Amino acid sequence: MLQLKRDYLDQKVLERLSTLQLHARLPMIGSVSGKHRSPIRGSSLEFAEYRKYVPGDDPRRLDWRAYARNDRYYIKEFEADTNLRMCLVVDTSGSMNFAHDGMRKLDYARRIAGTLAYIAAQQGDAVGLYCAGTGFHKEIPPKRSAAHLSAVLDELGAMEASGETGLANVLHETAERVPQRALIIILSDLFIEPEVVRNCLDHLRFRKHDVAVFHLLEQRELALEFDRPMRFVDMEGGEPILADPTVIGAQYQRALEIYLEDMNTVIQETEVDYHRIRIDENYDDVLARFLLGRTPKRHK
Amino acid sequence: MGFLQPFALIALPLIALPILIHLINQYRHRTIPWAAMMFLMRAKRMRKGMARLRHFLILLMRVLAVAALIFVVSRPLSGGWLGSIGMSKPDATLILLDRSVSMEMQDLQTGQSKRSAALKKLAELLEQGDYGTHLMLIDSASGQLQEVDSPKALLDIPIAGPSATSADIPGMLASTLAYLNANESGRVDVWICSDLNENDWDVESGRWQAIREEFAQLEGVHHFLMADADLPSSNLSIRVENVQRWERGNDAELVLDVIVRSKGNRGTRRQEVPIEFEVNNVRSVVEVELDQQGASLKGHRIPIDTKLRSGWGSVGLPGDANPLDNRFFFVFSESPVRRAIVVSDDVKNGEAFRRALAIPIDPRLQHQIDVISVDSAAEGASLNRIAGEWENTGLLIWQAALPRGPVAEQIAQFVDTGRVVMFFPPGSSQVSGKGNQSENERLFGSHWGAWQTPGSQQIFSTSWWRGDTDLLAHVESGDALPLNELRTYRYRSFESPGTPLARFNDDAPLLSRVATDRGAVYFCSTLPTAQFSSLEREGVIFYVILQRALGWGCQALSVASQRDAGPDVLADSSAWELVAPTDNSPLLSQRGLHAGVYRDGAYWTAVNRSQIEDSATAVPVETVDALFDGMSYRRIDVDVSDTSALASELWRIFLIAMIVALLAEAALSLPGKRTKTTLSMVPTT
Repeated sequence: MLQLKRDYLDQKVLERLSTLQLHARLPMIGSVSGKHRSPIRGSSLEFAEYRKYVPGDDPRRLDWRAYARNDRYYIKEFEADTNLRMCLVVDTSGSMNFAHDGMRKLDYARRIAGTLAYIAAQQGDAVGLYCAGTGFHKEIPPKRSAAHLSAVLDELGAMEASGETGLANVLHETAERVPQRALIIILSDLFIEPEVVRNCLDHLRFRKHDVAVFHLLEQRELALEFDRPMRFVDMEGGEPILADPTVIGAQYQRALEIYLEDMNTVIQETEVDYHRIRIDENYDDVLARFLLGRTPKRHK
Repeated sequence: MGFLQPFALIALPLIALPILIHLINQYRHRTIPWAAMMFLMRAKRMRKGMARLRHFLILLMRVLAVAALIFVVSRPLSGGWLGSIGMSKPDATLILLDRSVSMEMQDLQTGQSKRSAALKKLAELLEQGDYGTHLMLIDSASGQLQEVDSPKALLDIPIAGPSATSADIPGMLASTLAYLNANESGRVDVWICSDLNENDWDVESGRWQAIREEFAQLEGVHHFLMADADLPSSNLSIRVENVQRWERGNDAELVLDVIVRSKGNRGTRRQEVPIEFEVNNVRSVVEVELDQQGASLKGHRIPIDTKLRSGWGSVGLPGDANPLDNRFFFVFSESPVRRAIVVSDDVKNGEAFRRALAIPIDPRLQHQIDVISVDSAAEGASLNRIAGEWENTGLLIWQAALPRGPVAEQIAQFVDTGRVVMFFPPGSSQVSGKGNQSENERLFGSHWGAWQTPGSQQIFSTSWWRGDTDLLAHVESGDALPLNELRTYRYRSFESPGTPLARFNDDAPLLSRVATDRGAVYFCSTLPTAQFSSLEREGVIFYVILQRALGWGCQALSVASQRDAGPDVLADSSAWELVAPTDNSPLLSQRGLHAGVYRDGAYWTAVNRSQIEDSATAVPVETVDALFDGMSYRRIDVDVSDTSALASELWRIFLIAMIVALLAEAALSLPGKRTKTTLSMVPTT
């Protein structure tokens, strides 16, 4: 077992989640054999389909039993299992410093990302990390080695949030930079327009990536429960806003409602694996839910 | 719209307080780092519509509430558009102004008298409000109803100025009733400005009941009493009595009694006060020691020039709270020979009258008594004989049947000139003068009845008499006249509209006085001789009442007379020349209402405030309030601090406005239903 010295990784959580596996919802094109479906037929034990024999096919793959029954030549094809490229895209804009009881959104994202990276590495998948600030703060392409995991974890531990968000650009860039199908896991508060999010997700989906989104929110952002005027200082460096929550509370709620409804629509239409999370939730529960949700259903 | 406390309007800038608090609240914010700025910005954009208007309305309601509160405190008065809401406009306004001496009591800090303070306040109130088409003034001094041009004119017109008179508030209300009945006015405001002086209000008078009943029948009459019953911490008043000029050898002197009365608390320490005498432009000062009640100088002598047969003088005190009671004028002249005529049908009785009248109280006085028979008087012969002395006679004793014709007229004129007539019953059963006169022959509304004898009783005793005033008043030492010792064996009943001064035990009058404008008319039901009563034998009562009657009657003969200020005190005011005071001489129409000395040829008259003005106290406001039971009445203290009674008409409106504003503010401030965002925590894919 990898010797862990990163405080954001919890040994107990890792042990609890060790029984679960990270599955891709879409076929992956990996470099080595693995636990994930591949679009390419291979030699795994999992039957895929029958195909008519065409000259040039290896006669050893002919299904003689089918020939005996139908008097026709069929090639029996099996699924190919391959490994997974998991790209963790962590929003490191200033807004990720928003905290609940000392737990910043960035800390929460760090724990989820680190745990997923560890789980993926344990099952032989490649792990990469993209820190999305104004642009790419850090870019670690996915690789399978233990040393690479260590680099990813180190970077996760070291990353800090600041500045305006450049998540949209980073996602578009990521869609282009990751050459083959990969699992793109986005950890962000997504304080950008839902339509912009839609464009990013569409782009990633167009590039055949399996996309999962952890939308991190904090309770105070949802309720705006203050009883006196507040000076809200933009954590991403914008102009501060002086407002009385008792006065604008209703409008705030309405704006939030519209945003979430729009986001729901975007998620439904782009068919990404979306998880709306309040950062006061236990992240291990969130991860368990995430992993279980991705477990392929058995065919009866 | 006007205000009783306009200074409260200084607080009007406080209406900016809610805005200020709002702004302060805005800057009292806490700073918080915030991530979800996009929702805040959207929320602020959304608030630009109705929400911003709502917020503005909340602020407006708060501002209105504060403004209404300030207006409540500033005591808005009826008038203008607001007045039309609170109270209907009067058709006429009547002002009943108490101009009595006590109303000149000053606030020593402001130097403003109660009268001027009340007038000033009243003028302000009326100026700010509506006083209708007629503004009428009834002043207590003249009792006349006069129209006033404007409320401000009240401060300048002489008929609203100070006077040395007393007031008759019930009489003024009766005049008001007469005006209202004559003019059939609609809504009328009656303003009474007074210091609630007991004498002026005469709360025990039976007139109040009638006034209440009459006012109760009138609709739309509202009474406002501007009362200032506060007494000064201390005040001194001075007056002079019994001024007499005597000659002793080659010297002449004035002998007079000076009385200084003290009101209020002067402390327990005795102090001296200087009294300034002025006679014939010669001034002298005498220091007297004051006790709690004041001080008196009995028989004070002032030497004068022998050639000064008549003249005037004054006594004065240093200035204090009431300047009008610090000086008292007096006049003097040689004492005239006191003449009396006794007309009697009985020699014995005539002689009894002569003896009682002939002996003067003071040996320096000269008495001359003429006794004539009734027959001679009826024929006019005797009266004609003494015609030369008739003008110098002070008392007429008529002990005979009531006269008629020219003699009755002559007697009426005698009384009209201020002299005294005493009627005693005719000794015979004859009830009227010569001839076949009717039993109903009357003089001064009175006529004799039949002789009454005690029957089983031995004598008639006197069961009741007035010892406080008039002929039967207590003597100077304070002792009562011994009327209880008077024995009456026979008396003659009489019918008279007069006021009884003494009654027998069977309730029949012994002595009665008939009301006359001047002079005095008395009816006595018994005779002095032993056959009828013990009047002559016991002497004291008989002597005192005759001497008093002679003295009062002879006062009219004197060329110098002391009178209480009043509208009719100088019959022809233009004939009288003002001698003193020389400064601030009153208008001709106001003469007689102010203290001073007037001269008409050889006659002198000193006009002063009445004695009761020096001693009267204020009636409790509760008692005054009770006088107006059943009438529309509000009492307003002249002190501006308590004008709630009047202001209530309008401050209620502002109070309601304030409550409405606060309720509206509360309703607008109610938080809307906050829609809880249903945040789905499960993936929607």
